[in-house]
Amino acid sequence: MAILSCANSGRLFWLGRYTERVFTGIRALSGRSGAWAEAESKLCFDGKNPESLYCSLMYAYDNAIVLRDEIGSDTFSYIQMAVYEMNSARKSPAPMLQLQKVNDNIAAFWGMADDAISDENVRGIIKLGKRIERVDLYARGDAGNDEIRREVTRLTYRIEKTGLHYDPETLSALNELAEAEDIDRPEMIRKVESLVDFP
Amino acid sequence: MKVTEEELCRHSDSVNEQLARYGVKFGIYKGGQFHEQLFPFDVIPRVIGHEEFAYLERGLKQRVAALNAFLGDIYSDRRIVADGVIPEEFVFSGSGYLVQCDGVSPPGGVYSHISGIDLVQGKNGSWYVLEDNLRIPSGASYPMIARELCMRSIPSAFTGGIVDNRNYPELLRHVMDYVNTGGHSVILTPGRFNAAYFEHSYFAERTGARLVTCEDLTVENDRLYFIDYSGRKEQVGAVYRRISDEYLDPVNFNRESLIGVPHIFDIYRKGNVAIINAPGNGAADDKGIYYFVPRMVKYYLGEEAILQNAPTYLPFYEDDMRYVLENFGRLVIKDVAEAGGYGVVFGDKLSAKEKENFMAMLKAEPRRFIAQEVIDFRDIDIYEGGKRVPRKADLRAFVLTGEEPVVWKSGLTRFSRNPDSFIVNSSQGGGFKDTWVMKEGY
Repeated sequence: MAILSCANSGRLFWLGRYTERVFTGIRALSGRSGAWAEAESKLCFDGKNPESLYCSLMYAYDNAIVLRDEIGSDTFSYIQMAVYEMNSARKSPAPMLQLQKVNDNIAAFWGMADDAISDENVRGIIKLGKRIERVDLYARGDAGNDEIRREVTRLTYRIEKTGLHYDPETLSALNELAEAEDIDRPEMIRKVESLVDFP
Repeated sequence: MKVTEEELCRHSDSVNEQLARYGVKFGIYKGGQFHEQLFPFDVIPRVIGHEEFAYLERGLKQRVAALNAFLGDIYSDRRIVADGVIPEEFVFSGSGYLVQCDGVSPPGGVYSHISGIDLVQGKNGSWYVLEDNLRIPSGASYPMIARELCMRSIPSAFTGGIVDNRNYPELLRHVMDYVNTGGHSVILTPGRFNAAYFEHSYFAERTGARLVTCEDLTVENDRLYFIDYSGRKEQVGAVYRRISDEYLDPVNFNRESLIGVPHIFDIYRKGNVAIINAPGNGAADDKGIYYFVPRMVKYYLGEEAILQNAPTYLPFYEDDMRYVLENFGRLVIKDVAEAGGYGVVFGDKLSAKEKENFMAMLKAEPRRFIAQEVIDFRDIDIYEGGKRVPRKADLRAFVLTGEEPVVWKSGLTRFSRNPDSFIVNSSQGGGFKDTWVMKEGY
């Protein structure tokens, strides 16, 4: 196991979260049709809105660029290419084409991270960030209960493999919430956000 | 080479796309704001034949051996000053000389582990050293990754006659291991907003040394430790620092600094950690000291210098001052405290008033400047706008010193993108090329 600084463990976690935020955000847009409304463009591309997909990707990049030695140049390169595609999308009259490539690169990044990063902790922290973000996003959005249950199961499986410190009681509570017939989504968001404490 | 160069030019875009993909960038501050930009790469390499490089190699090893001996001397016995070879004003009054380093012997006895020697080739083929960089010379990562990506994009151009330059990380790792006092080797970066951050992270990836910032390190019980995310402490025995002396240790150097590793210099002084390059090396790469390097070679090694300096004058000496004032219009004047292409003034580019003001400054502060003949260095073609055009270029050669100096068989060739300029620095818009050293018989 390689030595990993506290700052880098946090960066890996947020790299996982931000890539997932962009990926799921773009997927949610994929069924749309017609001209882009101004509000929709802002949600996607506004560089001043920290919640936009553009900003989320830039935050992922900000984390990735200081993790080159942890994740490797090949893995990093997919985040860099996603940024180039996002910049093209911002100027495009048909941005979904480039946004699709953003997601292609994020998917390739995850695949490469899984394949090329030898340190299990480094891999595990990225994946944990991704899983936590997905449960959070699904609980906030219109995902079905079965989808949320599946993601909670995957998160549970992942967190137990990372060897990281987490709150087992919160994890149990999260699973109990997921098993309920009518999921208490606000409570689920609170639980998943307090599962681990990263800077 | 002709066919190969044409083939290379055809693939220029694909190589640059690869460089963009891997984020081969450098940082620059404009108007107080940090900008990250791609380092323009020209696909036509500088090619140096086997014999010619063997000559450079001998000269570079000799020069770096003398510079290391000089550093060892001035921080101990100061024989070279006592023997009147170099005036003490030039040794002890420069900002690079650190009194804190007096009497300190670095692990392995090496001061300049990584030396970047800037050379130019005159139109007559002669090579001249323009500058020695013994503090934190950067740039080796660029030709190394460019070679990798060129080989990927244009495999047919690499037929076996070119020395592979992708061994730089092994050379660097060897140096770190050689001086390591026990524990991990790390690369200490000031952070992402440093101009050469790409290089820091790339070397960490390729050498396997951990990339760290100051807050990851702590000194306890006279040892240096890396603190991991679980709070575990791992001893560190070698620090390849990419942070200047001034900001290395706020307790021993700049007390107002908010960065640095408190007390790292104290344990370095005790021999408990190696710092690469050694603090205080600025005493030997000052532009004023440069003038004396051929004398150092003679003094310490008993040999004539193989590599020539560019003809240089020190206004500090009366005769040189007279010469400089009489020939001001055809000389280049350099401020010894500046770097990165800044503080360089071409006499023929100044107005009469500017010239008058500058001469007054020269007379008032003669130690601050050196003057050099303008070497009309050999142009190298670059590929621009679909055609080949000549541009001024220099060569930064890298010498890595562990048991002995080893010259990396490549180098960073930097070129000016402006046809009328001699300034090749990346911070001033210059680009870079790979440097091919040919094998014997090619």
